[in-house]
Amino acid sequence: MKHFSKFLVLGIFVVSLFSSCAKQPTQAIDAAKAAIEAATQEGASVYAADELKKLNDDLQAAVDEVSTQSKKFLKKYGTAKEMLTKVQADGDALKATIPAKKEAAKNAAIQAQTEAKAALDEAKALLEKAPMGKGTKADIMAMKADLAGLETSFAEVQTAIDSEDYFGASAKAATIKEKATVTSDQVKAAIEKVKGKR
Amino acid sequence: MKTALLVSAFFICVFCASTCQSPPVPPEVEKAKSQENDLWRAGAPVYAADEYARYLESLRLAKEKLIKQNVRLRWFRDYKEVRADYIVILAQGDTLINRVQAEKRSQSQDFSQRLDRLEERMRKIKALTQLMNEHAPVRENLARAEVVSREAEILIRNEKYAELAPKLDLIDGHIRQAEEALFSILARYADDAQVARWRKLAEDTVSESRRRGTTAVLVNKLARTMTLFKKGKEIAVYEIGLGRYGLTDKLYAGDEATPEGRYRIVKKNAQSRYYKALLIDYPNEYDKRRFALAKKKGLIPAGASIGGLIEIHGGGNDFLTNGCVGVENSVMDRIFPEVAVGTVVAIVGSLESAQKLLAGLRISGS
Repeated sequence: MKHFSKFLVLGIFVVSLFSSCAKQPTQAIDAAKAAIEAATQEGASVYAADELKKLNDDLQAAVDEVSTQSKKFLKKYGTAKEMLTKVQADGDALKATIPAKKEAAKNAAIQAQTEAKAALDEAKALLEKAPMGKGTKADIMAMKADLAGLETSFAEVQTAIDSEDYFGASAKAATIKEKATVTSDQVKAAIEKVKGKR
Repeated sequence: MKTALLVSAFFICVFCASTCQSPPVPPEVEKAKSQENDLWRAGAPVYAADEYARYLESLRLAKEKLIKQNVRLRWFRDYKEVRADYIVILAQGDTLINRVQAEKRSQSQDFSQRLDRLEERMRKIKALTQLMNEHAPVRENLARAEVVSREAEILIRNEKYAELAPKLDLIDGHIRQAEEALFSILARYADDAQVARWRKLAEDTVSESRRRGTTAVLVNKLARTMTLFKKGKEIAVYEIGLGRYGLTDKLYAGDEATPEGRYRIVKKNAQSRYYKALLIDYPNEYDKRRFALAKKKGLIPAGASIGGLIEIHGGGNDFLTNGCVGVENSVMDRIFPEVAVGTVVAIVGSLESAQKLLAGLRISGS
């Protein structure tokens, strides 16, 4: 009995020693946070908002797990560490995907810009060819003024691209293309109108 | 014996600890997690930031309570209070999501209405540019406003309301520039004294037609009409077309403006390059005095001449003349036999003030 009591006390002492000495994975928490911050800095909030939100949720779950364990008598941070390591890895992986996403958005903006330019050039060429006689002169003058406005707006597409607002640039370019195409169609209609009168 | 009892008690405890089922974590915990995600996706951080912050704080406190229970030995865990808290949070979340949706609906409605008002202004200005044959810089600014307006429509469709306000301000700026350009042209038409002079000229012309029993022609530039009077009675009203600067009073050759004043038909041309034409006696004495004064003051190019050959002619009313009054060929067919050499032609800017027209353009609060 004496021996049993001794062993029991010793056992409790050893367990207490190990459990209270289990350290919180603060380094892993910091590393995971840093990975998320790096992904955010890279542009994840713009190009991968959903993934970034999930990552933040995962981090929160890991921190909750740390908090749970810290309140336990027998602290086991193994699961929390695994979770944090995964968050860090996912953060790094997310960061790595951003340049490609950014590049894709940039390419889409440049493509939209090229298409808008082509549509503007076509409209301008058609206007130059259009017979500016009586019956169409007023329409053509109006369309030339419209086109001048579109060209001024077109310059803003490059400004948006330069400031890395690729989605804004794409939207503006698409709108300009749409308007220039309408002008082209109107010029064609004006030309047809003249042909019809002849 | 005592040792055996203690060992047995120890093993019973270990057995209980390993076999006793802990109460399950309330399902509301998972529901709250998914609800928080839904709120984030719906845009709660943007559209109901304060309430969302309060919701997150409640969630954090409830989570702490949950953790507290989770750290207890499993047979001491009690999730009743935790569950109650989560039920309250879920209700709070439901209210919040409704609030977010209502806010989005309200913003969508508000921005759509503002955009509608701006587009209405654009339509009015565009209609005026067509009426006046006035393009740059009015139309240039309108085209720029239309581009931004289309972008704004897309933003409304994608529920990106936070980016909308600056876009609408930009549209307003372009419209204002277009309006200012328009006002500078139309200012004369909103001047009551000037409009009164035009009215007097029109009334005198009609009175003369009545008194002498003659035919008279009244051209109204802003209304784009030409009215034929016989013995002071209105016979017919026709649509007309003017030049690029048709609303301006003609001052010199090549200004593409249409003269204003009292003239007479001096020649009828049945073989005009514009179908048929009625030549008027521009410049009259008043025009010559005005031209000389403008030249003296250096208001017109030194080498400019006063010009002439202002006609009412066929060819259609949808084109730009160089200062003449254009009508459809069918109209020329009708008026040509009715109008003799010597017929009075009064050309006025407008018989009504353009004040209303201009006031209608500026819509405050857009």
